[in-house]
Amino acid sequence: MAATPSMAAALAASLPAPQTAPTPAAPTYEAIPASMSKVIDIEADIPVTSVQLDGLVVSKIIKHSREAQGSNAHGLLLGLDIDGTLEINNSFALPHHFTDDDDKSIKGVARYQASMLRSLKEVQVDDSVVGFYQAMTLGSFYTQSLVETQALHQDKLRHGGIVIVHDISQTARGNASFRAFRLTKAFLDAYKRNNFSTDSLIDHRLTFSSIVEEIPLRIRTNPLLSSFLETLSAPAPMPSVDIKPTTATSTAAIPPSFSVLNLGSGNISRNMEQIVDALDSYRTEEGNLAYLQRQIAREKVKAEGYIAKRKEENASRVAQGLAPLPEEDVNRLFKIPAEPSRLESMLLLGRIDAYSKSLEGTSSAGLVKMYAAKGSAGA
Amino acid sequence: MPLAPPSSAIHVKNATPGFLSTPGRTPSSVTIHPVALFSILDHYLRRTDEQDRVIGTLLGTRSDTGEIDVRSSFAVLHSETAEQVAVDMEYHQTMYELHHKVNPKEVIVGWYSTGSNLNTYSALIQNFYSQETAPHQAIHIAVNTGVEDGEQAGVKAYVGSPVGVSPKPENAVFVPIPCELRFKESERSGLDLLLSASSNSSTSTSHPSTDLDILETAIQSASDMIDRVLTYVRSVLAGETKGDPAVGRYLIDTLGASSEDLEKGGFHASLQDALMVSYLANLVRSQAEVSARLALTTAP
Repeated sequence: MAATPSMAAALAASLPAPQTAPTPAAPTYEAIPASMSKVIDIEADIPVTSVQLDGLVVSKIIKHSREAQGSNAHGLLLGLDIDGTLEINNSFALPHHFTDDDDKSIKGVARYQASMLRSLKEVQVDDSVVGFYQAMTLGSFYTQSLVETQALHQDKLRHGGIVIVHDISQTARGNASFRAFRLTKAFLDAYKRNNFSTDSLIDHRLTFSSIVEEIPLRIRTNPLLSSFLETLSAPAPMPSVDIKPTTATSTAAIPPSFSVLNLGSGNISRNMEQIVDALDSYRTEEGNLAYLQRQIAREKVKAEGYIAKRKEENASRVAQGLAPLPEEDVNRLFKIPAEPSRLESMLLLGRIDAYSKSLEGTSSAGLVKMYAAKGSAGA
Repeated sequence: MPLAPPSSAIHVKNATPGFLSTPGRTPSSVTIHPVALFSILDHYLRRTDEQDRVIGTLLGTRSDTGEIDVRSSFAVLHSETAEQVAVDMEYHQTMYELHHKVNPKEVIVGWYSTGSNLNTYSALIQNFYSQETAPHQAIHIAVNTGVEDGEQAGVKAYVGSPVGVSPKPENAVFVPIPCELRFKESERSGLDLLLSASSNSSTSTSHPSTDLDILETAIQSASDMIDRVLTYVRSVLAGETKGDPAVGRYLIDTLGASSEDLEKGGFHASLQDALMVSYLANLVRSQAEVSARLALTTAP
């Protein structure tokens, strides 16, 4: 399709310039063909309703996540949106930054990002950032840094950007798991006001399950990749029939796999440990919150006592015919601490929930496998 | 796991040429990670109309035994005309530095091109990459995308050797070396996902599914296989087909596994464990839910 490059140019032009990258010199593009005018929205009016992940991105994320295990792999997603579907066509890994608040490393990452985008553009890769991906274990992706990055993207990116989380442990168990999320409006509102007190939570009806909303995700392989995969998984003709069974292997480049039928349950104990750890930190956090609450209550009581006393005094002074003392200096005398943020405790709860959900999933799959094995044993 | 149909070509153990004193081993075999392969295919899809083939750099690791593990790749700009070939070296350098920041372990091991014709330009590019990988030898991977008529998709690996009385950059022999696809077992499920996505070609899509769905398909296909074996065995027993001794040996090897442990009460112990874990998980979940709701209330 001849119009494709110009479409890309049109869309790219409407995007906010990617951080620090030099703004491209006014691109010249032809008018959008009438047949496409309904599905292309330069103003980003059509909300994103589904996400489509390219096969290349799937394998890139899996590789990066596995290699950077333990150190939290994350990277940027590149793509375009068309008619409500966000197509993610490429991605690249971001260098792992050791200290978040180090100004130099942040600048380094920004420079890296800009230079990577420029380079990719030269070989006709989509160069608009649409979100980021994050690797995690056992389904727990509720972390402060994820929420912060996403909230930052929400302002900067077209459609607010999405986050794709990839579960390493589930993938190792035989089910490659990719899920797409974005922050809910209620959470964003509370986040922008930087107010996670109890009242604000009630106003926004926020619990851990309403921090993010999931967007349906599809995996797509382009026809070239499909045909190539087909070739790879097709078995080659057996060279000879006289091989010993123990040494024979499948001749296809990608042999069929049955690793999901493995009865081992090695992951369960680690999963339970993580639940216990998360519960511990939740308890500590709750303890901190309760302490702060008590302190607030104490200060309030003190302040009220002072006001009451001052009022009494004033009443007696008025009775004696003297001018009343000023009442408004209470706020200066007593510093009532701001109500503590419940964000961290909410995130911790979310993590606990995710851990137990994945534990539940593992154990129920384990049950099925056990009965299958028992059945085959001829019981 | 071979990547190309078996060929009759002998993989010559290429001796190190005398005048090119290369330390380390000459590459003896190549393994390639799916990511590198998929990036090459993606690059091929995104080529411009004028480009006949695309080239790029291969990154990976070398082992002492002469095995090269290609772990990723990136595209490099180049132009070919009847008279000359040009590779954007500056671009190559920038991209390498960027990749190096994220993955310091991966170094340049060679280059790829699509299509399977090796010509003078290939020799020139090979010469350029040999300088980049010095003192090691550069490898070349030719990916046949299989889009042209009569050509089968496949991947071939070569090392270049100088040829002729006086070494010239445009004179080279490309000696084939064995090439395999390799990935870690934990990445296997990703490939399965892509395979399932590519097999429902009607929509070309697939939803990420739960553990149980995956398990169901696996059990289903295992059960189909058992049915197939059963039909075969029955027909051999009935004398309809002639039994193949090799198949018989495979069968006894696979099905002869003992299941004594299951009989000895091990099943019930594990069953109780699994139920307990499942119960605990649900308990924790409901507690977390209650706790989240309680946070939304205030004392009257």
